[in-house]
Amino acid sequence: MSVKKIGVYICECGGNISDFVDTERLRIEIAKEKDVDSSMVNMFTCSDAGQQKVIEDIKEKHLDGIVVASCSPKLHLGTFRAMAKRAGLNEYQYTQVNLREQCSWAHTHDMQKATKKGLRLIRAGIAKTLNSKPLKKLRVKTLPHVLVIGAGMAGMRAALSLSDIGISVHVIEKEPEVGGMTKRWGKMFPRNKNGYELVEKLETELKKRDNIELLTNAELVEKDGHIGDFSVKIQVKKDHFFSLKVGCIIVSTGFETYTPTKGEFGYGLPGIVTLPEFEELLAQTDDGSKMISYNKKQIKSICYIYCVGSRQNKMMGESAHQYCSRYCCSATVNTSNQVHEIDQTINQFHLYRDIRTYGKYELLYTKSLEEGSLYFRYDEEYPPSVSFENNTCTVVVKDSLTGNQNIKMNCDLVVLVTGMIPRTNKQLANVLKIPIGQDGFFNEIHPKLRPVETVVDGVFIAGSCQGPKNLSESVASSMAAVAKSAALLLKGYVNLEPLVAEVDPNLCEWCGECLKACPYNAIQITEIENKKIAEVVPILCKGGGVCVPACPSQAISVKGYTNTQISSMIESLAKNVDIIDEETNEEKKTS
Amino acid sequence: MITTNTDSQKNEKIVTINCQFLNQMKLGSEFNATACINCGTCTAICPMEINLLPRQLFRYVLIGAEEKVLENVNNIYSCLLCRMCEENCPAGVHIAENVRSLRTYINREVYGLSRS
Repeated sequence: MSVKKIGVYICECGGNISDFVDTERLRIEIAKEKDVDSSMVNMFTCSDAGQQKVIEDIKEKHLDGIVVASCSPKLHLGTFRAMAKRAGLNEYQYTQVNLREQCSWAHTHDMQKATKKGLRLIRAGIAKTLNSKPLKKLRVKTLPHVLVIGAGMAGMRAALSLSDIGISVHVIEKEPEVGGMTKRWGKMFPRNKNGYELVEKLETELKKRDNIELLTNAELVEKDGHIGDFSVKIQVKKDHFFSLKVGCIIVSTGFETYTPTKGEFGYGLPGIVTLPEFEELLAQTDDGSKMISYNKKQIKSICYIYCVGSRQNKMMGESAHQYCSRYCCSATVNTSNQVHEIDQTINQFHLYRDIRTYGKYELLYTKSLEEGSLYFRYDEEYPPSVSFENNTCTVVVKDSLTGNQNIKMNCDLVVLVTGMIPRTNKQLANVLKIPIGQDGFFNEIHPKLRPVETVVDGVFIAGSCQGPKNLSESVASSMAAVAKSAALLLKGYVNLEPLVAEVDPNLCEWCGECLKACPYNAIQITEIENKKIAEVVPILCKGGGVCVPACPSQAISVKGYTNTQISSMIESLAKNVDIIDEETNEEKKTS
Repeated sequence: MITTNTDSQKNEKIVTINCQFLNQMKLGSEFNATACINCGTCTAICPMEINLLPRQLFRYVLIGAEEKVLENVNNIYSCLLCRMCEENCPAGVHIAENVRSLRTYINREVYGLSRS
């Protein structure tokens, strides 16, 4: 059923459009167009009142297709689709014309020409609606089963929560043991629980659950299928493979710690360790011993150098870690407070660029000052120097808190506060195809509004594989991924856009060009009446349209953007718009 | 001796931290200036216009730069203990008390005097 009676609604956008485009003039011209049964100008079409007016008009005039000439569809496509649906129309027989970003805002200097362009754009919109067909959203069944990749704290916590909800889970871990980085850590803020205790607690709980299967030494090697119904292939140890069907995937592969290059702040010299190395040393130190030893020597003074491998200058090249690793300030201050607790007499010097113990971690910083930790601030341009002589490390820092004077301190141990860097796993990145952000971590769709979803539908990211996070933030993000997964899977189905490619079996001669062009493997070969033709798998198709120009016999097109629609739009765009000139000239003559 | 990143410190004077002094001031005296926020009120208000402003001096004591403290013995004894600075210190540092503790230390360590 193609559209016969069209309504065109032109939005002023409260002056954003009408200040630079003559909207009333457009309405008059559009009203003259064939098939346009109603035309109207609204101040704010997206407002409740504006939408109501349009809905009443559609019902009153029994329209079967509409065009709204307003802002970018990025802003209000959903709004007006829903409005069309409420008015009893098929939401895909609505066309949004971008009269703001692509017309009024771009041509603020010439109203007449902008109005002409507006006329062309709206005519094209009318042509698109005229040739539109009603479409229905694709509905896909979802399997209530999740694959969690990575059994660190975020992964294990996600698995347990999904299990609580009643969704069965497979957890795969590349390493022989679960617990990731956390199991190496000592006491953590604020409850002073040891890292390995937390890991143990979760691991024990995980193993009790009937609906969680934990596999160590296991890696994802293949992923097929689509949201709601993925087929994954998992490799266990070197030679075991098995396949699995899951509704969605949570990626919680964690981070790696920065390893300083040899000689960076003296790394490689005796007595110079990284923060994780020092934390391991501390975790092994007996609380009752009242002293800390390194290489069998009692430690009397410690110097921490912050921001090693973080907030690097972009002049260092592409591999520079320009971001703040966020967790290290709090972690270091917490660690140094524990040192104070074990041996009050140890002198501790903190050489920092900026202290970022945000939120409640300020308590740690205040405590550290009270305990007698000394803080020295250095500038990025003047990094501290570290040397080793006579069995002691000597650090010199240009301290901006002491009038930029060079301060020298002798220490038994220098701790380089290293940050988190992205984990490199090319195989996994290839299989999952999650985009990587500027800092090298997995990228979410939107940092605020869609923080755990990726552009790959049904694949969520949780924890520090997304960027530096402390443990509470990591678990919070894994809980968000659980909520998104559960919402998807418990509903039982998911609706997808029907704007996918389709093949005309009469025209298709099967040459395979579309298959070669498609990046999503959404084309397969089929046979109808002894004739080989291409077939589109709608669920895999993203409606990208690269197959359309590849087809030599024009047998393939994308729904909602059919060849008829596009060529009629081009014709409409090219139509004469001089009528607007004529009117203006007449006005000039009369005046 | 192996050294890294030395460029920034070339030809510049270096102040050395003396951990013994640090511990003595931290554990064995009443001195406490951790609350100092470096605002400079004490400097502005000092009637003696003492060269070494209380905040600089306290920073030296805090980080254990004994050589700097000893360089400024005269300044430390120039203080009137009038408590103008202390009255106006927004961080509530007991400035006069701190100067007294320092004098006790200097009397003992430099002049060999002792209370007992």
